[in-house]
Amino acid sequence: MTAQEVRLCGLLLQEHFGEVVEKVGRNLLKSGTQNLRAIVHETGLSVDLVKKSLCVLVQHGACSFIQGRKGPGSPTEYKAHCDRVLRILRYPRYIYTAKTLYGDTGELIIEELLQRGHMTMSNTVKTVADRLTQSMDEGSSMDYGEVSATFSKLVETHFLQRCPPAAGAGTTGSSQTANSTSAAPASSTAPTPESFPDCYRVPQVTLIGRSKRSLASEEGEDQRNAKKAKMDPETHGDEGIYWQVNFERFHQHFRDQTIISAVANKLDQTSSEIVRTMLRMSEVTTSSTAPCTKPLSANEIFRSLPATYNIPRHILDQYLTLLVDDPMEFVGKAGESGGGMYIVNLNQALANLARATLESIVQERFGSRSARIFRLLLRKRHLEQKQVEDFAMIPAKEAKDMLYTLLSQNLVQLQEIPKTPDFAPSRTFYLYTVNQLPTARLLLQNCYKTVANLMERRLFEAKESKRLLEKSQRIEAILASLQASGAEPEQLTEVEEMITAPEKQQLDSLRLHVNKLDSAENQVDETIFLLESYISSSTKPTS
Amino acid sequence: MEQKPLPLAGGEEAEYLLALKQDFRGVMKNLPFFIKPAAAQRDVQRYSDKYHSSEQTNSLTDWNLDWRRFPRELQVHIRRRVREGLAFSTMDSSVPVQKKKKKKEEEEVLLKLETLEKKEEHEQSSEEEEGGVKKKPEEEEGAEAEEEYDEEELEEETDYIMSYFDNGEEFGGDSDDNMDEAIY
Repeated sequence: MTAQEVRLCGLLLQEHFGEVVEKVGRNLLKSGTQNLRAIVHETGLSVDLVKKSLCVLVQHGACSFIQGRKGPGSPTEYKAHCDRVLRILRYPRYIYTAKTLYGDTGELIIEELLQRGHMTMSNTVKTVADRLTQSMDEGSSMDYGEVSATFSKLVETHFLQRCPPAAGAGTTGSSQTANSTSAAPASSTAPTPESFPDCYRVPQVTLIGRSKRSLASEEGEDQRNAKKAKMDPETHGDEGIYWQVNFERFHQHFRDQTIISAVANKLDQTSSEIVRTMLRMSEVTTSSTAPCTKPLSANEIFRSLPATYNIPRHILDQYLTLLVDDPMEFVGKAGESGGGMYIVNLNQALANLARATLESIVQERFGSRSARIFRLLLRKRHLEQKQVEDFAMIPAKEAKDMLYTLLSQNLVQLQEIPKTPDFAPSRTFYLYTVNQLPTARLLLQNCYKTVANLMERRLFEAKESKRLLEKSQRIEAILASLQASGAEPEQLTEVEEMITAPEKQQLDSLRLHVNKLDSAENQVDETIFLLESYISSSTKPTS
Repeated sequence: MEQKPLPLAGGEEAEYLLALKQDFRGVMKNLPFFIKPAAAQRDVQRYSDKYHSSEQTNSLTDWNLDWRRFPRELQVHIRRRVREGLAFSTMDSSVPVQKKKKKKEEEEVLLKLETLEKKEEHEQSSEEEEGGVKKKPEEEEGAEAEEEYDEEELEEETDYIMSYFDNGEEFGGDSDDNMDEAIY
């Protein structure tokens, strides 16, 4: 947990859950595993507030608890997960992806689950159906069956998964791990959701009917209905089964999208379609941590190409050969049977994409000539000062200057190779080198710092104009209520004029700035995703 | 800076993502998961503070937790200061609170009278430490108010609606910077 990550997590928690949860979360992130008393003592908050914050954090999966770690009777210990909190940055992307794949229904399902952490299927279906009905025309309402069908589809494609049963929260979970004894409720490692066989099984839910449209005009009935809804303990046969969003699957999807668009940019549309087909066929057979997909024969690929792309067989073979020979090495050949067995090199593709990102970062910050030196060093590994000047075709003085700038930014490292045991400068080789993985880590931390800075700036701007924002909100509320009750246009213009013209200008420019900062955060998050995927793929233990 | 950064990527997708993000933030602020810190103590003790405290404690009441998935120690206990012994009633929302309400109402009235009596004695004896003591009875009052159903008129058994207790401080708050003009 680096300082930058903790700072960013703190800001995200503050924006979405309030300052109290931020304090508790920060404390947990900095101090590691702690029990309740220690948290209360260190944060100085009241016990009730700390308890509520911990509930919120556990609900959203940002915190997990272990009971009886040091033997039975020891207090419950809480641990915060930094990477889970950082996912909050990516929520809009998840929701948008669900929309492109499963339409508005899918979008709302994912949005509800992200807002609430985890929910039962029946609750989700009901809430989403109600929301959809609100936006539909008068008289029509959403059928629960449709929403359930979309939910099941999401589970089938593994975008949603069941929450693992709580470990030692009172009832002992099912003993899936081989080494769990009958007495000990706590296992040594927390079970992942995928270690339970029922992870992706949709429960039998009896949920028939249509959602009710809540009418704003009948206030009295509404209140009674609202009360009835709270008291109504309808069971639909899936109590205790909670669902959460499967982030890994979304990440797989993003990674595939990135590879496909990279191929489309480098080669052409048809090759990207071929790669898309290959990836689609390997979706369920390849685990998320595999370095490359399972081998697919050219025959299978030919059969699975989408119907709109009826290219003849020999053209397909030519395309495949082109893809294999491409220096980017997205596709590799794994054998000759079945007309040629082809794989997609996932790790290699990620490494190449990360390298392209690093090069582009250097180019945009230091200029194209520095970028040329950087690329050179990436390819040639170790080079002396003189060699750098020669290969890059840059005059000596400028090359020296640029190298030193890159060195001071830690993007380039210096390796000393002595000729004699005393490191005499005249008799030592000084070689410049670039290591891709450490540089990627460094730039990832820079990205976190960038996003944290953007958020702070946005909060600062909003705080500066707080008074103005509140005024405009009040006026909007007045306008809305006037319009709903049918007022004359003169009254409306009178209310609108309560905001003066320079204030309106100020508001507009504030909105523009805030939107820009928000948009920038989204964009930086794309880079973060790429670098994170690369780092996690290259540090995985190869079995 | 020598190099100017590239312009942001625009386009439909970026705008939609932006809208999603801002909507999400707005919704999260209204969910029960957003915990607001206790309101700052104002300089002078005001009569309306006793009635404002009930507004803040809405965070966990409308969130039905499944306590099987959470450690038991995180449950917030509401203590009622009864003279003989302590009667704990937990905020365990899995138990339908509404059914027990009617039975408890009569008891509640009696208990309330006792607690108010006790509180009066308590507050008289420690008038100097406003900050510490005020918080406790406020929190308890707020916690007690959670168990009653929230219809405006019947809260805290006053005959006045809540806006009666507005002290008029929010009125005229916009014209703070035009202090040279007289306020009529």
